[in-house]
Amino acid sequence: MVYVKWIFRILFWGAFAAWLHYTLPQRDIVRIVGTYEERQELGDWTRIFWSKPDTQSEGLINRDVQFIQGFNSKDKAWVYRNEDTGWSWPPYFKFDTANLYTEANDAISTKDAPEWVVITHYGWRNEFLSAFPNAVAIKPATGPDMRVIPWFNIIFLTLLAAIFWAIYVRWRRFREARIDPVLEDVGYSWDAASDNVAERRGRFRAWLDTFKGKSR
Amino acid sequence: MGLVRLVVIGFIVLTVIYFCLSLYSRAVRRAKLKAQWDDEGMTGDQDAFVTHGLEEYDNSLRRKLILGVYIVPVCFVAILIYVINFM
Repeated sequence: MVYVKWIFRILFWGAFAAWLHYTLPQRDIVRIVGTYEERQELGDWTRIFWSKPDTQSEGLINRDVQFIQGFNSKDKAWVYRNEDTGWSWPPYFKFDTANLYTEANDAISTKDAPEWVVITHYGWRNEFLSAFPNAVAIKPATGPDMRVIPWFNIIFLTLLAAIFWAIYVRWRRFREARIDPVLEDVGYSWDAASDNVAERRGRFRAWLDTFKGKSR
Repeated sequence: MGLVRLVVIGFIVLTVIYFCLSLYSRAVRRAKLKAQWDDEGMTGDQDAFVTHGLEEYDNSLRRKLILGVYIVPVCFVAILIYVINFM
């Protein structure tokens, strides 16, 4: 029972952490090498990895999506999609997809004369599922080794932890004051009931034993 | 349509949070008033003292600060829209 509880806990908090990792912004330093637009089929469950912008009807099963291609300082390829999030989840309220596409095209550079930019994005890249992180902002970087401190994530996660802790402490206090005493009551009566049963069974066994010639 | 959905769902969620916070804050205030009564060894009608204290609390600024539950997220969203799209 203890294992089940722990497995359940680990699964729950693992899923929550993964969800945060997907949703919170991350920043990469890349040089942009190109942009392209490709028609995407959105008819299966991988739909969750694409945005649901306002302007597109929910019933649409394919549409054109813009992509931004980049390389980081270790020459690892990064491909971002460029989609509005609109008013829906995740709450980035991104409406400037066309502007971002223009900025990306402006920042295209070659390997010999690289122009490094910081791309803010959320989401995951997965080659098997054809999932792409969504680029949210492009800012010039000082160089490939620029140090980016994720202030937003630091503040957000600290606040989130504080809120969870505050609720947890209050819930525990409430449980100790209101629920535990009731459960203890139930526990006492359960113990009393099982003692009673045990005693009766003992008497029954003693009676059976009289057939074997034992005295009561 | 998306904006309408966000506003409706946001309003419902924030209202739930608002009511939970209000009830919790009132309960805390009540417990504090009772503790004050016991600590200072007051005599007389405790219920009247607590009721009076809660009435004072209902008119206080502290009570109205809970309205920030509605105001803070709206400001936050407005700032976010500006930062993401226009900065």
